[in-house]
Amino acid sequence: MSSSFEEKSVWVQLVSLLIVLGGYSIGSGTMLANGVMLLVPYIPVFAVAVVVLLLVMAFGYIAAALSGKREKPDERDRQISWRAESNSSWVLASGVFFALCALILQLQPVWMAHLLLLFWFASELVKLILQAVYYRRGV
Amino acid sequence: MKSDPASSPTGIRNNIRTLRFMASEMTQQDLADRIGVSRQTLNAIEGGKYSPSLEVAFKIALAFNKPLSEVFEYVGS
Repeated sequence: MSSSFEEKSVWVQLVSLLIVLGGYSIGSGTMLANGVMLLVPYIPVFAVAVVVLLLVMAFGYIAAALSGKREKPDERDRQISWRAESNSSWVLASGVFFALCALILQLQPVWMAHLLLLFWFASELVKLILQAVYYRRGV
Repeated sequence: MKSDPASSPTGIRNNIRTLRFMASEMTQQDLADRIGVSRQTLNAIEGGKYSPSLEVAFKIALAFNKPLSEVFEYVGS
């Protein structure tokens, strides 16, 4: 069975996130390990990661659009998206909970920011993986 | 030929493949265009991997000029 444009888009987002935010996580993890505890030095690194992410995704979408007929999302695409979102939202909620715990424990803002970012990243990954699974296995 | 309910997570069996064949071997793309879904979605419905909305189910039945019960059958999950 060939893939629809929506399914290809899921793979584009998944691979882009893994490459770019994975790279940012390694970079920021190294900075944290080296004792950079101010938030300001991380901002340009994150900005570059966002720009690269947008570029990689744009190229991916163009490649997906060129590889087949582009169709609008239909009811199955929307149902898959809703179900994946619903089943992955707990990851982000956990991140918010841990960030609150970090606030209570008076950890530095750099830890809270990266805790939230890490859980948002994980939540997006879980959502995209679930979408890819639902497209293949059925809903 | 009906879709196999044993391999279907939806518990709904359908006759779409047979009806397409009887309708001058209508392609999945033709039927998908008529009912306003992607070919991949129609393939998922036909293979029992996705339960369509009532609206899409009626559109499929209407495309073959058949009642809904002749296209879909609930067999349980």
